[in-house]
Amino acid sequence: MAFCTGCSLLCDDIVVDLDGGKIGKTMNLCRKGHAHYSSIGSGRLTPCVDGSEVGVEDAMMAAAEVLAGADNPLLFGWGASTLEAQRAGVDLAKKLGGAIDDPSSYSQGLITEKIIAGDLPTCTLDDVRNFADVSIYWGDDPSSSHPRHMSRFSYFPRGEKRQRGYEEDREAIVIDVRKSPTAQIAADGFFKITPGGDGAFIEALVASLAGKIPKVEDKKRMLNLGTKLRKAKFGAIFTGQGLAHSLRGDLSGFVSLVGKLNEITRFSVIPTLGDYNTRGFNQTLFDETGHVNSVSFKDGVRHGREFSIARLLDSCDAVMVMGSDPAAALPAAIAKKLERAAMVAVGSHRNMTTDFAKVSVPMAVAGIEAGGSCLRTDGVRVEFDGLVRSDHLSDVDIIKRIMEAV
Amino acid sequence: MAGGKELTVITYRGIFQEVEEARGMYSDGYRDQSAVVALDGGDMKEMGIEAGRPVHLETASGDVVVAAKLSEEAHPGVAFMPASPWSAQLLSGEVGEDGFLELKMFTVRASSGEGRVTSIEEIEAVIRAP
Repeated sequence: MAFCTGCSLLCDDIVVDLDGGKIGKTMNLCRKGHAHYSSIGSGRLTPCVDGSEVGVEDAMMAAAEVLAGADNPLLFGWGASTLEAQRAGVDLAKKLGGAIDDPSSYSQGLITEKIIAGDLPTCTLDDVRNFADVSIYWGDDPSSSHPRHMSRFSYFPRGEKRQRGYEEDREAIVIDVRKSPTAQIAADGFFKITPGGDGAFIEALVASLAGKIPKVEDKKRMLNLGTKLRKAKFGAIFTGQGLAHSLRGDLSGFVSLVGKLNEITRFSVIPTLGDYNTRGFNQTLFDETGHVNSVSFKDGVRHGREFSIARLLDSCDAVMVMGSDPAAALPAAIAKKLERAAMVAVGSHRNMTTDFAKVSVPMAVAGIEAGGSCLRTDGVRVEFDGLVRSDHLSDVDIIKRIMEAV
Repeated sequence: MAGGKELTVITYRGIFQEVEEARGMYSDGYRDQSAVVALDGGDMKEMGIEAGRPVHLETASGDVVVAAKLSEEAHPGVAFMPASPWSAQLLSGEVGEDGFLELKMFTVRASSGEGRVTSIEEIEAVIRAP
């Protein structure tokens, strides 16, 4: 069986026929995973310096030159990198006295940090499949972002204590601002909230759990939800970017809600993270520094939002982007700063960030062209081998080569 | 911002957009899945916009032309847009007092657009411009 690194579920049941050393027929890939596997044949990044194609070694040396000449470099990305590359990236940031950050600084980093620190209870997706009778998808649409989430783990499958699956044994509850594809599956379990209304929903749910009348329009439905959660034997809350952005930096209400649920029964929180190894980066950096993102190694270890990409681009003098595309995802004003920065982009495919980079270094696609290890979105460690031979270097080899040269 | 109708835009990620992104973001397929805005039927009627036709979206940060899509559910005053380089042109780069960027929700002026949908190359040109 092969793995799919198309998202952070890291599906481990992929059947791949290798046809003459190339990817042939595949089985069990979702639509997104199929596109991920197919992508190795097109749109690949080429090694470039100042817009001119060069050899990979020359590109890595140019990258080292950019970083070595910087007083305040920022190393950003890392979610689509193996644990080995992430570990090397932290070492590179320390060697450079630079800062390191990832997209979790503007998405689910705070939630992940609370889970890793033990401030929010969690469990594995396998626990969910075997035991969960209530799954709450909060600002989260895994049907779109992680297409096999519900079928492999959280809603449809039979499990050890859930032999009757979704028909009788499981309940799906979706809290979202729109009727997403996941909400359509949940049907009667869909709670539509107003944009930014997550905090008010939390307050109403806490009141309902306490047997008080919630301050919402449909009081009866909220009270029924409270009763349903009280009766759950094993609940799971899957958080998405919708929740993280709505609550911004204040998770106190959410942590309190989860605490109250656990006074009554058992509820765990699992973030639905984007890139295949976002959890790995957060864990790697936490193990080293006690923080999941936005860390500077200049003058010791410092952490704070001033070291996130959104703020640091005003003061850093070089950027290395590893397997990410912040120029496409972040506001145009920030993309402009990236475009003007001395930027090195390491990635498997061309994107807006690589288009703006002074130096681009192509890498192999982990899980297909190179092996390594990573953490699933629930923190379970996964190791995989490459499936096909590739001319591209692995992510860890690139980082180590750059580190040798700085 | 002047003219048009004020809408609250919420960004999201769709499966077909994710697929097209994996295939390559410089493709027509990625643009077709990303450069769209799902509008409430009543809002479309008020603005004189038909499904598939161009919509001009503008904020203090930038503007783009995307294709209109009719939502199946009613959500007057709210529009949904895939998170993409098109929506990113409309986002403020200002970091809030709490240290966060607002990437999921913002206010736009929407009006019937002219011409074609903004291309990703045009977006890159705007970013490169002095």
